[in-house]
Parts: sequence; C-alpha cells; structure tokens
Amino acid sequence: MNKRFLLVSLLVILAMVFTACGPKGEKLATSINMNCLSEPPTHDPNLATDTTSVQNVHLLYLGLTQFDAKTNETIPRLATKWEVSSDGLTWKFFLRKDAVWVHYDPATKKVTEKGPVTAYDVEYSVKRMFDPVTASEYAYVGYIVKNSQKFNTGEITDPAEVGVKALDAYTVQFTVEEPAGFFPGIAGMWFMNPVPREPIEKFGDKWVEPGNVWTCGPYMMETWEHSNKIIMVKNPKYYDAKNVTIEKITWYMVNEESTAFAMYENGELDVCPVPSADLDRVKADSVLSKEYYQAPNLCTYYYGFNNTKPPFDNKLVRQAFSIGFDRQKLIDTVLKGGQRPAKTFACPGIFGTPAEDPNFPALTLDAAKAKQLLADAGYPDGKGLPEITIMYNTSEGHKRIAEFIQQQWKENLGVEVKLANQEWATYLKTVYGPDTPQIFRLGWCADYPDEDNWVRAVFHSTKGENSIKWSNAEFDKAAADGASASDPAKRKELYAKAEKILAIDEAAMIPIYYYTRNVCTKPYVERTYSALGGEQIENWKVKVH
Amino acid sequence: MLRYIIRRLLWTIPVLLFISLVTFALVHAVPGGPFTREKPLPPEVEANMRRYYGMDKPLPQQYLQYVAKIVTKFDFGPSMQQRGRTVNEIFKAHLPISAQLGVLALLVALIIGVPLGIVSALKQNTGWDYLGMSVAVFGVSVPNIVLGPLLIWIFALGLGWFPVAGWGTPEKMVLPALALGVNSSAIIGRLTRASMLQVIREDYIRTARSKGLSERVVMIRHALKNAFIPVATILGPMFAALVTGTFVVEQIFAIPGMGKYFITSVTNRDYPVVMGTALLYAVFLVIANLAVDITYAFLDPRIRYT
Repeated sequence: MNKRFLLVSLLVILAMVFTACGPKGEKLATSINMNCLSEPPTHDPNLATDTTSVQNVHLLYLGLTQFDAKTNETIPRLATKWEVSSDGLTWKFFLRKDAVWVHYDPATKKVTEKGPVTAYDVEYSVKRMFDPVTASEYAYVGYIVKNSQKFNTGEITDPAEVGVKALDAYTVQFTVEEPAGFFPGIAGMWFMNPVPREPIEKFGDKWVEPGNVWTCGPYMMETWEHSNKIIMVKNPKYYDAKNVTIEKITWYMVNEESTAFAMYENGELDVCPVPSADLDRVKADSVLSKEYYQAPNLCTYYYGFNNTKPPFDNKLVRQAFSIGFDRQKLIDTVLKGGQRPAKTFACPGIFGTPAEDPNFPALTLDAAKAKQLLADAGYPDGKGLPEITIMYNTSEGHKRIAEFIQQQWKENLGVEVKLANQEWATYLKTVYGPDTPQIFRLGWCADYPDEDNWVRAVFHSTKGENSIKWSNAEFDKAAADGASASDPAKRKELYAKAEKILAIDEAAMIPIYYYTRNVCTKPYVERTYSALGGEQIENWKVKVH
Repeated sequence: MLRYIIRRLLWTIPVLLFISLVTFALVHAVPGGPFTREKPLPPEVEANMRRYYGMDKPLPQQYLQYVAKIVTKFDFGPSMQQRGRTVNEIFKAHLPISAQLGVLALLVALIIGVPLGIVSALKQNTGWDYLGMSVAVFGVSVPNIVLGPLLIWIFALGLGWFPVAGWGTPEKMVLPALALGVNSSAIIGRLTRASMLQVIREDYIRTARSKGLSERVVMIRHALKNAFIPVATILGPMFAALVTGTFVVEQIFAIPGMGKYFITSVTNRDYPVVMGTALLYAVFLVIANLAVDITYAFLDPRIRYT
C-alpha cells in the first residue's frame, strides 16, 4: 500500500513537472540601444523637422493615424476610424477614449495621469502649428486644411477660421480646401499630433524638458543629456502597454557614422546604418552579411536644371543630358548600396508613381540618341555650348557622383562641364535665389506617400517650390487635378502624365536614383522598417542575448 | 607683479570687444541665415522668427543690445538652432566635458612629451634619441582623424580593453585623451629636446656639475627649469585650444563637448552661439597667455614685470 501510494504520487509529481516544463514562450529582453545621429533640436511636435525629432515624437506622442510599416497604408492610431463627406471637403475623425496624458518625474519615477487626450487637444495643436508666431517649418504640408495657409502667412488673423474643430471630446472635424484622398495620412503626421496645453502655457519653450513634459505615446522621456544621450521608458498608461515589450530605449548621439558602426560591431548598439565605405566589407563578412538589410527609403536623388538659363532653356539639350550617362553604372561603381536607377521623380512606394511601371519609358544611357538631340538643338558634338557648371553642396559623396556624371558626359556627349560646390546654407541661398545654377543637385524625401507631395509640392510652377524655374501648363494641370480627383485610378493616370512631362518629354530635371537604407540589425532584434514617420519601436521585440 | 596682472586683465576688455565686433560683422556678412531651409519658409513666418530674435532691428543696434546683455546680465542670448536652450546653458552643459578632456589630453602630452624630450636630449644621437624622435615624428604627422579610428580599431575592437565611444566613465576617457594628447606630446617632446640641448651646453650647467651636485639635481633644478621656457610659451595657446574643445576627436569619440558647437554654429548660422564660442575661446586664450607669462617669472628670475 505504502509503496504503491509512493509510486502513484511520484508519477503524479512527474506528470506535473513535465507539463510545467513544456515549450515556454520566447524569453524577451527589455532594453535596446539605438543611435540617433544627432541632437534633436526639439521634441515639440509642432516644431520638429529632422528625422531624430520626428522619431522621438512618434514614440512620445500619438498621431491621429500612422503609416503601416510594411505597406505605407494609413492606419488608425489615436483615431479609430474616420469618414469623409460626399463632396470630399469635410473629414471627421473619431478618437479612442483610452489615450491619456501622463507626467513622468524622473527623480521619483512617478507616473501621474493628467487626463484624457481629447479632440480639443488636437484642435489646439493644429491651430498652434499654423500660428505664424510658432513658425513651424512643416506647416506647408498641412496647407490642404482650409484657410491654414492664409492664417500661417498672416492674411487672416482669427484662428477660428482655420478648418479644424473639435465637435466633442472625441470627435474632431477637418475642412479641406479641395478633396484630397491622402488627407488622413497628413492628419496623422507628427506636426499635427495633439500637444498638452497646460505645460506649454506654464513652461514656454522649456515644456519639452524631462520633468516638465506631458506625453501620451508608448514611451516617456526619462533622461535628455544634450548631445550625449536620451533614455526613454515605457509608459505604463499607454493604451496598448501590455503589448509593448521593450521597456527602455537608450538613444546615443553619435554623429560619426563609422564610430557608430564600430560601436555596433562591439555590441554597444543593437541597430546601425552601414556607412557606404563599409558596404563591401559588410556584404562579404559571414556574420555581418546576415545582419544586413536593404530597407526601402522614400527618397530620390536628382539634378535640377535652371530651365531659364542657356543652354538648358532648350528641351532637346535637357533631354540629351538626361540620357547621356549610365545610372546603373553609377550605382554599381560609385554608390554600391543597392540603389535603383530613377526614371521618375517619385520613387517606388509613393501612391501614383509610375516608377515601377515597365511601360513607362526608362532613362537609360543612349549616347547616339543624345548626340543626335544635341545636334538637333544646334550644338553638334557639343560645339557652341556655353560653359556649364554642376553645383552641389559640399560633401564627399556628392562630389564623387558629380565627378562620375561629369566623366560620363565627356565620354558620351563630348561635353566638358565644370564642378562647383558650396556650403549647405550658402548653397540653398544660391539655388533658391535669382541666379539658380544651370545644374544643381538636390534630393527629396517623402513627407507622406503620395505623388501630391512630389510633383505638386516640389515642381508645380506656383503651388510648389519650383527651384527649377519651370512652367508648363499641362504639367501644372495634371498635378493639381491629381490632387483633387477622388478615383484612385484616375489619380494614377494623371500623375503618370505629369511625371512623363516632367522627367521624359520636357526633361525639366534629371532623376538619378532612388535611395535605399542600408542597415545592420543584431539577430536578436525582431523589427520592422518604417519608411515614414520614424521606427515603430513599440512593436519591436528584443530576445534575450 | 599684482599691478601687472590687473593691467593685463583690464586689457582683456578692449580685446574682447574688438573680437566680438569683428566676429559679428563677419558672421552677418556670410550669405544665408539661421532660417535658411531646404524648403524655404513662407516670408511671413521668417519675418516672425526674425522679430522673435530681435533680428529685425538695424545691425548696430543688435550688436549693442548683444553686448549690453552680456555686460549687465552675463546672458549670451538664445540658441537659434535649438529652441529652448540658451548659449549659457550650452556652455554649462558642454564646457566642463571639453575642459575635462582637454586637461587630460594636456596631462598626457606633458607626461609623454617632457620625459621623451629630456631622454632624447641627454642621450643625444644614441638609439634612445632616434627612438624618441621617431615617436615624435609619428605623433606630429599622424592627424587626429587617423589616430582616433586607429586607437578604436586596436584597443576597442581588437583588444576590447576600452569602449568604442562616449563619455562619462573613466574607461571612456582613455582613448580620446590619447588621441588628442599624442599630437601635442610630440610637439612638446621635440621642443623640450631642442631646448635642453641648448641649455646643457651653458656655462652654468658646467658650474653646477663642478659644484658636485648630483646629475639629477643639475638636470631637473637647473637645466629643465630654463629649458622649459619655450615649452611654457606654447602651453598657453595649446591649453586654450584643448580645453575649449576639439571638433575632430569629439566627433570620432561621440563626446558631448563644445568642439562641435564651434563648427555647427557657423554652418547653422546660429549667431549667438557663434559669438559665444568665439568670445569663450578668446577669454581662454587671454587667461592662458597671462598664466604663461606669470610662469616665466618663476622659471627665470631675471624676468620681472612692473
């Protein structure tokens, strides 16, 4: 009896132990070390402009919407759903009710709830953003909101006329200048994130410092050592806090990309972009090549023409220069980062772009045709052309690209061009001044993934920057109509037309390549690669290592 | 002596005024401004920002207001690039770090350079001399921008003795201090050697030896003290340069010092920071030179100030 009892209890105990020792969930670590390349000038959502600040705003605050990391589609964040009126001019966003402002005291580590995030906060923030006194640099992206441009430029002075209104605590209504299918994406961008009125009124410019600030996003700011590091800790009152596994993010501020990569190789950073000089080595290394990934990057590198200055006031000359060099060879021999040759201004991933349409004409090197174009323009073999200069802002990378293209034009067109460079701020003044250089280098990165942010915002003759001093009525109409059309298929058609005029028929600028992001990530980090709005670290996981 | 010091200190004021005036004029003459952006701001927004920073007033008035604020409140103004931070706060946060690094680098330079120079001088034209001077040539020729990554590659990535970059713990201070100090140590070494060679041939050294003093006393108390005068001369500007921050080493080792601000303030056209850093450097230079001049009086009793 005793023996049998013992045997049974032993079996029972063993059974319990074995079921308890079944496959456990993956053990997760709770902190991650990242590098933000530079000191963020501010974390004020209405004022943030650079990538570091924008990244931090994503983690500390909440936008009405966000961009899905894989598809770039606009998905809910603070707003759970939205609807538009039949005329396309009124948008209503319905906010979730469980988002709260918190105040974190780094000294005592106490988290105090300060009240719900409401539609009134959204209205306050948007009006503050457009207020000319705030001097937000991204206000222009929001000009689709009714009367916002007039308010921002001082034409009207009553903020009540701006097209944003809180209908009740959890419903906010936007009125737009014209129908715009891409508006929900813009409404969720960082500069429209709700901001807390109380600390702003109390602390002024210093409201963003740790200890003063109120935040509502997945993380809170614990430490901000200027130019040194930022430490963020998980917000326990974030509405999805139970799914946030990384509890502490340490942001180092290492400007020098080779130092940052050395830190990554030494295990001091978990994620790091690969400096272009190290690309070959990383791809060949047995360990690093597995950690390396080419992520999408919604940017295009291009040369602009001054369309009013000879010889580039002549369309044939512009076309000749555009097809007079080998983009793929530039990528293979100079850039080496898996970039892609560009044939349109807007890169792949932008709604409406024909960048990946095989039927859209390619801009490949065609020396014979280029020479013929020059001859037709009155410059056979390049004779008679005035002195031509490529201007770029001082940088080793831009210099190498310019030298390559200079060499190519000499070989393929028989034209010798000069190179000149200027320091960045001086360069911008030159490019946007009255004496824009004949050829100048610029890049454009998407603010939101829609062609409106590209062809219209950059090259429309009156509604855009128009650094290339170009005016084409057909292009302007296609770009403007593309914004207001509501049928996605029609919009794509209009934008394809606009791109063809811009990049191919008129060759008003030279698209060169679409950027990539070359990143190394440690194998124990499970991550996404966001092309817009900052990395969504609240969704990442770090395994124990 | 005291009158001399006070007089020198009083002279600092016109010097600083002159420097501030020249810097102000130069920085406003450069094209571009603090609000030049890749996507140009609407003119009204830019006008607002200019008004906020007092830049809509005529230049002479801006300059006078700037000087008045420094003299009355010791306020160097706001940073235009980093909203919510003033130049005073930038100094307070970053100058101590640069100073720490600079002092360490100077110590490294002296600890390596002076003995190197002495040994090379005493054992002139022997193997020690050639070794010492080769080290000096290496130190002078290899720039910071090469030495820094080299040190990281060998000692951090290779041997794993030190972290790659950053600031805050003693182990993070070693590599940057070395990278910064080696260059100066080479200069000090060569100068010490040349100076010592000259001094040990002097009559008073022979007298000291013939008095029966030990070689060590002769070298340290008599020779080195006089040989040190040229070295002290360069220590002044060297100290000022090291302590106010060196851009390259701070970049490579990600050290949150002042060095970066000297450069980035100009590219950002952050006028108050440009002025602040220029004046800071000037103050350090003036004080360092004064300290050097006073040291002369101790090194060489023949030098007297009235």
